[in-house]
Amino acid sequence: MVATIKGGIILIRNKTLAFFRINIVHLLRLPFVRKARNRDILSIETPEQLCCEVQEFHCGAIKRILREITSFLKGAILNTFTPAFLVILVPLLLLWELLPRFGIVNYALIPSLSTVLLTFWEMLAQRQFLHDIGDSMVKFFAGLGLAIVVAVPLGVITGWNVAIRKRILPLFQMLSPIPPPAWVPITIIFFGVGFPMQTFLIFLGSFYPILFNTFGAVKDTEPRYLASARSFGASEFTLILRVYIPSALGAIIMSIRSGVSAGLIMLVIAEMYGGSSGIGFVLNEARSFFNVPRMMVGMMTLGFIGWFLVEILKYAESKLVVWKGGR
Amino acid sequence: MYAINVDNVTKFFSVINEDKTASGFTAVSSVSLKIETGKIISLLGPSGCGKTTFLEMLGGLQAPTEGSVYVDGKLVLETPPSIDSTKKEKRAYKRKYRFISPLANSMWRNRPKHDIAMMFQDYAVFPWMTVFQNVIFALKLRNVPKRERRERALHQLKKVGLDNALSKYPAQLSGGMKQRLALARALAVQPKVILMDEPFAAVDILTRERLQDELLKLIDETDITIVLVTHDISEAVYLSDEIVVFSANPGTIRNKFTLDIKRPRRRNSSEALEYEERIQSLLKYETKHLGDYAI
Repeated sequence: MVATIKGGIILIRNKTLAFFRINIVHLLRLPFVRKARNRDILSIETPEQLCCEVQEFHCGAIKRILREITSFLKGAILNTFTPAFLVILVPLLLLWELLPRFGIVNYALIPSLSTVLLTFWEMLAQRQFLHDIGDSMVKFFAGLGLAIVVAVPLGVITGWNVAIRKRILPLFQMLSPIPPPAWVPITIIFFGVGFPMQTFLIFLGSFYPILFNTFGAVKDTEPRYLASARSFGASEFTLILRVYIPSALGAIIMSIRSGVSAGLIMLVIAEMYGGSSGIGFVLNEARSFFNVPRMMVGMMTLGFIGWFLVEILKYAESKLVVWKGGR
Repeated sequence: MYAINVDNVTKFFSVINEDKTASGFTAVSSVSLKIETGKIISLLGPSGCGKTTFLEMLGGLQAPTEGSVYVDGKLVLETPPSIDSTKKEKRAYKRKYRFISPLANSMWRNRPKHDIAMMFQDYAVFPWMTVFQNVIFALKLRNVPKRERRERALHQLKKVGLDNALSKYPAQLSGGMKQRLALARALAVQPKVILMDEPFAAVDILTRERLQDELLKLIDETDITIVLVTHDISEAVYLSDEIVVFSANPGTIRNKFTLDIKRPRRRNSSEALEYEERIQSLLKYETKHLGDYAI
């Protein structure tokens, strides 16, 4: 039998057993695995031995996930805060700290960095702010998730088929120029103030960028790939699944990135207009109490969340679109 | 039995200009061609003479405006209704292909319309699949049983010398290796006909000659018919049993040469050079009256 393992091959007598994502290097350490003449082919004496090994791998899943998360965090932080960037960032932060402190700018309008950090610490200690962040995130992911679930398939289908495109797309092209904030009054009337209204607004904000970018990427699939798949006999369904989507995958992830930023905008707007919790609510509340440090904490939290989500998507792209980087 | 039968095929492209007037040009004009099973046919001609369009019609990537193409006795693509056909016919055609492209095989089940494989100049191997997956995928589309797929893919990849790059992505391969992969993929499905659109144009001359030799070795003792579009006269003379020279504006068959040089052939043998010279002079004549926009 031959099984593909990360593109490599394992031979186990003549029985069919396919395993995916098994570390070949790890398998090579086992005594019963011998490296065949070919580099990518491993041959194993009995399938039972491999099964035991695979069970062990399932136990190690948590360990593997942890390792993955660490490597992601390390990569995200190190790639952003490079020495070249720190040369700019550190003086800027110093200016932020020193200028208000020495009274060069108005302390009441622009509190220094240390004040903001202290406020942040106090807000965290009160726990209320954590609840606010959690609330915002639940809404945000509900809206964004809904947008992805609806917009990606819609984009793929409109990109694939001209007839469906002609029937569906003009509707969205007419609706998309309406700025999402303009939907706020009517959604409040429809859904009332609360979770459904906020989720719907976030959905609306991130829906169009995801839809149009996905559509564009799928439409621009290299016709040569389609031609060769069709000449081998691919059905349209296979074509969508195995040609259109993989070739557009990078662009789809990019479109989710722009969906994230549009969604964050709508999150703040939705919470400012109607809501009793969330980061947008904190911002609004801070404005009415003229609490500038609190505002800044809210803003910085939003900035951090946006940056973090974009990093996650970048990481997902690097993991899923392996072939683009090659090597 | 003919592997390919082209019956009086015309391809007309209509263009709507910026000032809303319609114009067009005839890429291929009433071409008839019969190709015997197991032969290698080369299509030569000046740029823009409709060779590639012709090949795409053979492969079912474009429908002919008039006439019909048969591969292995089966009609490749339904010819769309012409201007003269009745309204009813036009409407019926439109309705039939309203939601699915006329080029599509089917909606759900993988099923090739006819038994061909295609190779392109830019390889058209899928960059998101590894070498092994590329071949497996092609076999899957042909509904080859799962167990047989792996064996056939491995066997074919070994034959083209890619068996130590199974888990590599095409981005990691050189141009020659990519083309070898495309060749292995085309041969693995064991088609009746392979259509090649300038397959060796993008690799250097040494690799090209090696690939040509390998191609001849691989299809030796099979009855695969090969249609090869090329710009390289010596390649055409070295590989083919028959050379069809196209002339441009409109694209028609200018001349056919049957090469009775014994195999295995030598490059630059006196016979080959003689053929090359004849074809060269014919092509020179073809391009001369075309003016500046040719070549």
